[in-house]
Amino acid sequence: MKIEILGSGCAKCKSVEKLVKNIVEELGIQADIIKVEDLQEIVNRGIIMTPAVFIDGKVKIVGRVPTADELKKLLR
Amino acid sequence: MTPIDIFFSGIEVLQEYLSAHVLTCLIPAFFIAGAIAVFVSKQSILKYFGSQTKKYISYSIASVSGAILAVCSCTVLPLFTGIYKRGAGIGPATTFLFSGPAINILAIILTARVLGYNIGLARVIGAVGMSILIGLFMAFIFRNDEREKKNNDIFTDQCNETNRSLKISVLFFILLVLILVIGAASSEYIPWIPKLAIIYMITILISIILIFYYSRNEVKQWGFETWDLTKKILPILLIGVFIVGVIGGVAAYLIPGSEPTNAIGVAVAPYLGGNNIFACFFSSVIGAILYMPTLLEVAIVGNLFGYSLGLMSSGPALALLLAGPSISLPNMVVITKVIGVKKALVYICLVIIVATFVGFIYGMTGG
Repeated sequence: MKIEILGSGCAKCKSVEKLVKNIVEELGIQADIIKVEDLQEIVNRGIIMTPAVFIDGKVKIVGRVPTADELKKLLR
Repeated sequence: MTPIDIFFSGIEVLQEYLSAHVLTCLIPAFFIAGAIAVFVSKQSILKYFGSQTKKYISYSIASVSGAILAVCSCTVLPLFTGIYKRGAGIGPATTFLFSGPAINILAIILTARVLGYNIGLARVIGAVGMSILIGLFMAFIFRNDEREKKNNDIFTDQCNETNRSLKISVLFFILLVLILVIGAASSEYIPWIPKLAIIYMITILISIILIFYYSRNEVKQWGFETWDLTKKILPILLIGVFIVGVIGGVAAYLIPGSEPTNAIGVAVAPYLGGNNIFACFFSSVIGAILYMPTLLEVAIVGNLFGYSLGLMSSGPALALLLAGPSISLPNMVVITKVIGVKKALVYICLVIIVATFVGFIYGMTGG
């Protein structure tokens, strides 16, 4: 599984990253967690509100910090 | 003036900003800004920035949405880039870029509180009107500009629908604003004891709404967001205010016969003191060059240049408030990368020219 976190380094983006890492660990999933910080790249994907989460190339969350339960559902 | 005096002139200005009348408006304002960031759905607004939207709708939404979308400047740049590249184009994008930092709720409240309600209102109206004008100019100047139009959709979030009724959400925000208004009201209108009692009652009402209509997680996010904003903005504001005071102290040392509180104001009064077109132009150029962290423009106008002491006229003050926060060096570096040197230069010139005229008109008529 490939999890990408898009964000230009604001506090919300960092908290999403931490949350994803915790949950991946908790569920014991094999996943690559990639941070995308380049603004051009973020916009080229059609994201204008960060943070955003892509799972296996598909957009799942835009512009907000998800709850732990929500992320668990998405990652299962 | 000894080094210790200079230090104390910094403390003096700092004290003014830590006094009750500023804190009673800033603390509720941070809570409101945090609530906007968490509870107001941005998705419904974002769709108006698409390339299919009618132009007049994009412009009007772009000119006012900064109040909701751009509480923090780090969200402005992705939005700007997105609107420019994928959505409605250069016009609405620059409209948003300009109005965003000027009409966020913290800036409006602090301006009105510290510098006066007239100039606070003029700042809001000026920023919204000016942003549309600048956007239209940009769109006209670069009307033959080619854009990549390969994939113009913008992803927004569909989920996160709550079952909370609109009435409750509106009531929640009205109560928050009431705390701000009553808390900031002068004690001539409402004496301290009833004021505290009323605020206490409203706080209880808000808690009841939170307990019954908001999930624990939402409340937690609100707290997190409020704290995060405070952490990001307040220390820089306080350090900046202190530095403003110290600069005044140093200037008082260099300019014989002046006080730390008015030294710079007296020194620049020949240039910024009058409501003429040169003073406005001079002041909007200063605004464009100086880097001002969020909210510090208020202290720069009020304390450094002496607007609060009547040394700086209202026209140049408004020009500086309009041109200042929208252009800063770090912002311009990113913006130049996104839209290119030529467009960025045209944007800066437009901001300076239009801010000059808006300030001039305000100075002549209202201020």
